Amino acid sequence: MPDLRSKPIRILIVDDHPVVLAGLTSMLATQDGMEVAGAASSGEEALDMLRANPADLLLLDLRMPGMSGIDTLHALKRSNISIRVIILTSFETDEDIYRAVQAGALGYLLKGAPQSDMIEAIRTVYSGKRYLPHHIAARLAERMMRTNLTARELEVLQMLARGLTNKEIGNALNISGNTVRNHVNSIIEKLDVSDRTEAATTAIHRGIIEVPNY
Amino acid sequence: MKLALSLSRRLLFGALLCLLLLLAFLGLRAYMHNPGRGLPYRDSFAKGTANEWRAFGGTWELVNGMMRNDSDERGAKLLTGSPYWHNYSVEADVYLLGSSGDAGLIIRSSDEEEGVNSYSGYYAGMRTRDNSFVLGRADHGWMEVTKRVSDSSRIRPFRWYHLKLLAYECQIAALVTMPPQAARTFLGFTDSNCAQSGRVGLRSYSSGGIWRNVVVQPATRQDLAEMLQNAKSQNEPASSDAALHDAKFFGSQHPQEDGRANAHSDATTQSIVSLRLASYARPTTATIRGVVILTAPRLYVQDFTGGIYIPKPKAPLLKVGDEVEVTGEVHPGDFSSTMEHATVNVLWARTPMPPMSVTASQASTGKYDATFIEVRGHLAGKERGPENTLILDLDEGTQSFRAIMNPGRGSYLFSKLRPGSSLRLRGICVVDPALTHNLTPFVLLLRSNEDLDVIAGPPWWNTGHAIAVVFIVLLLALVFNLAYHRIAHWRLQGVLEERQRLAHEMHDTLAQSFAGIGFQLQAIRNRIPKENSHILEQLDLASNLVRHSHEEARRSIATLHPESLESENILSALDLCARRMVEGGSVQVVSERDGNVRPVSLRIADALYRVGQEAIANAVRHANPTLLCIRLKFDENCACLQIEDNGTGFTQGNGLLGFGIRGMRRRAQSISAKFEIQSSLSVGTRVQISAPLPPRVTLINWPNLFWRYVREHWIDARPSKQADSYPYRG
Repeated sequence: MPDLRSKPIRILIVDDHPVVLAGLTSMLATQDGMEVAGAASSGEEALDMLRANPADLLLLDLRMPGMSGIDTLHALKRSNISIRVIILTSFETDEDIYRAVQAGALGYLLKGAPQSDMIEAIRTVYSGKRYLPHHIAARLAERMMRTNLTARELEVLQMLARGLTNKEIGNALNISGNTVRNHVNSIIEKLDVSDRTEAATTAIHRGIIEVPNY
Repeated sequence: MKLALSLSRRLLFGALLCLLLLLAFLGLRAYMHNPGRGLPYRDSFAKGTANEWRAFGGTWELVNGMMRNDSDERGAKLLTGSPYWHNYSVEADVYLLGSSGDAGLIIRSSDEEEGVNSYSGYYAGMRTRDNSFVLGRADHGWMEVTKRVSDSSRIRPFRWYHLKLLAYECQIAALVTMPPQAARTFLGFTDSNCAQSGRVGLRSYSSGGIWRNVVVQPATRQDLAEMLQNAKSQNEPASSDAALHDAKFFGSQHPQEDGRANAHSDATTQSIVSLRLASYARPTTATIRGVVILTAPRLYVQDFTGGIYIPKPKAPLLKVGDEVEVTGEVHPGDFSSTMEHATVNVLWARTPMPPMSVTASQASTGKYDATFIEVRGHLAGKERGPENTLILDLDEGTQSFRAIMNPGRGSYLFSKLRPGSSLRLRGICVVDPALTHNLTPFVLLLRSNEDLDVIAGPPWWNTGHAIAVVFIVLLLALVFNLAYHRIAHWRLQGVLEERQRLAHEMHDTLAQSFAGIGFQLQAIRNRIPKENSHILEQLDLASNLVRHSHEEARRSIATLHPESLESENILSALDLCARRMVEGGSVQVVSERDGNVRPVSLRIADALYRVGQEAIANAVRHANPTLLCIRLKFDENCACLQIEDNGTGFTQGNGLLGFGIRGMRRRAQSISAKFEIQSSLSVGTRVQISAPLPPRVTLINWPNLFWRYVREHWIDARPSKQADSYPYRG
């Protein structure tokens, strides 16, 4: 746990809207143990500022003209800038949340959130933990659970996770090996993974299938 | 670059097309205006056709392969050819049928009308009255050059003369070759202000005539010179190129100067009508005087009292309009008499009698039997009768009758007549059963083609057309319907796009500003010392208001997205919205639909959705319920949304709650919906909004709806009070 008193959390705010920037800057400046290191109006600007002057935490808007919040997250990863990121946005669609978390955001906050939530989020994320308000977390989980796999594909996936070969799966389900291969290809595509092993681990990780216990 | 190329190619193509069209037009015009078009021309009278000829007065008929005008009408004309014929000659054999008039040829005629000199052109003809050869210029007036023919070859009727008329530039020349010694007489003049071009024609004046071998051919200067040469070679001194010095106008001719001396007047003549008093039993002999009204197929004579039929007369060649004296045996009939074994003497020629205008019913009484009448009728049918006659069946009101035309020139007109046409016919009314066959009360014997005028074509309205119209109307309605829906679809598309744009706009400005202002207020609040509780309270309220507004803006944005607008989606959208709000809580959300989903307009969908959102938000935020019920009910004429919870309820809305309720009511009002809130403490709250829908038009109920519409909009012309016809409670 870092010493809050001795070293304030240096925060960089990225938002294309000047009113939000001004409001956030004013608000955070009144908080003990926090310091607004800068305010950038675009992802590019934020990257430049971070390279020159590293900060502890990034408050990032999702939708911005030019580089979006997700793009900025990817760019940070590419340029090896390690910084904790909280997404601060007015959107709460499942896809936005999912993609932000996928891209490495540790927190997700709505702009309408009360000050206390925001402070808590900043402290939590600064300390290295995730901060997702419960309804966001629920939505995220829902998104993670949601797959568009067919019943047959789920069956195939189940057997795949148990380490069966295509031929064995085919025998078990009374279908040909080629059909199984088609199903597996389709699963790999749908789960956006590179191979069957990853498909199995991802499916277990996301809770799409039960962990085989034996 | 590509675009410019294709554009310039298109332009080029367009220009070429225009040029081609222009060339085609010019070519067509040049062809039509070509002074040589249709030349040389030779008549086909011998073949029995003369469809290209057009008559102005007279009774022009083809008889024995020759064109014949049996009428003594003054200035009867028959024309053909192109109005652009310029230098040409016309020649024909001409036969005079009367001793008091003239007959000949017209050249370069234009602007023709019915009447004596009602044309513009040149005429050359033989005149029996003063034994002269005439050439002159007609221009709705008459100027002539005449030449008396020597007594040795005086001009007489019932002889063939060969007449040639030539127009070259402004020189007009005429040459007549006369029997018996083929003596030639020439006339010519130069008209400084000449008629440039025109048709050719046959013309007679106060005399009938027969024409044959009509030949029209282009003329050159050489042809003119040849004609002059011909003229010089003759014995008589030719007054060629005579100026119009002896030209004079004349408009009246006096048929009394008749050459034939058989004009004797008998004091014992009777009026035709008086013959009906003759005895049926014993034929009497009588003499009448009258005008010939028809020569073929039957001879009819009419005086001022009535008409008479003269079968098989002993008569010279008769023409319509001849004043005659008839002596014969009288046989009175039912309506008119006949005169058998009659001898006919021609007294003189006079203008043919005008017809009496009667109706078909009047004619059917028999009162006008054997007289020349004019009657109107609608053509019911046409057929070819015996001996090649053309029979027209006509109706006028309830009366039907027949008209019989001679073949020949009539057949063309006959073929063109369409059933249903309205016709005006002139002819001899005959009630003789020999002609009527007792099928119709009377039959009209037409003298010639010119006795039939088409007043109006057949009525446009008949069964085929009616069906076509119905089809076209249906087709148009279909097209209109399609177009209407397409346009409505485009409009909706446009509206949706605009809403999307608006949503983005609101998100980028309004929502962000609310967020920013909220943060700013928070910053201010953070700096105010705790002891200023008064200010802090007010700041908190301000913060809450901003947050509420922010949420409102976000909801507006959500509403503007197209997917939430379909009526079947309102419920699912509200359900989703409720589930989002209660996420993590222990509230059970139930949504139900009742009745058949009906499409609702955007405004109504918006309002329902927003009111629903607000009601759900209020319930979740303030009432702390365990059950939230969303019900959407579609009725005959309303869409009803109900949000019910089993929460704490409230007595009176205050603060943000009151704010929200006012907003809901305002929205309901904007779509004339009924809005109700029922709430009781610790039982729950029910919010209900009923939006009126336009009644659905179905096959069964449309007359009802139409009647209601009419009653509301036309009979009860009071201003509609629909907007405030619902009481607001709650």
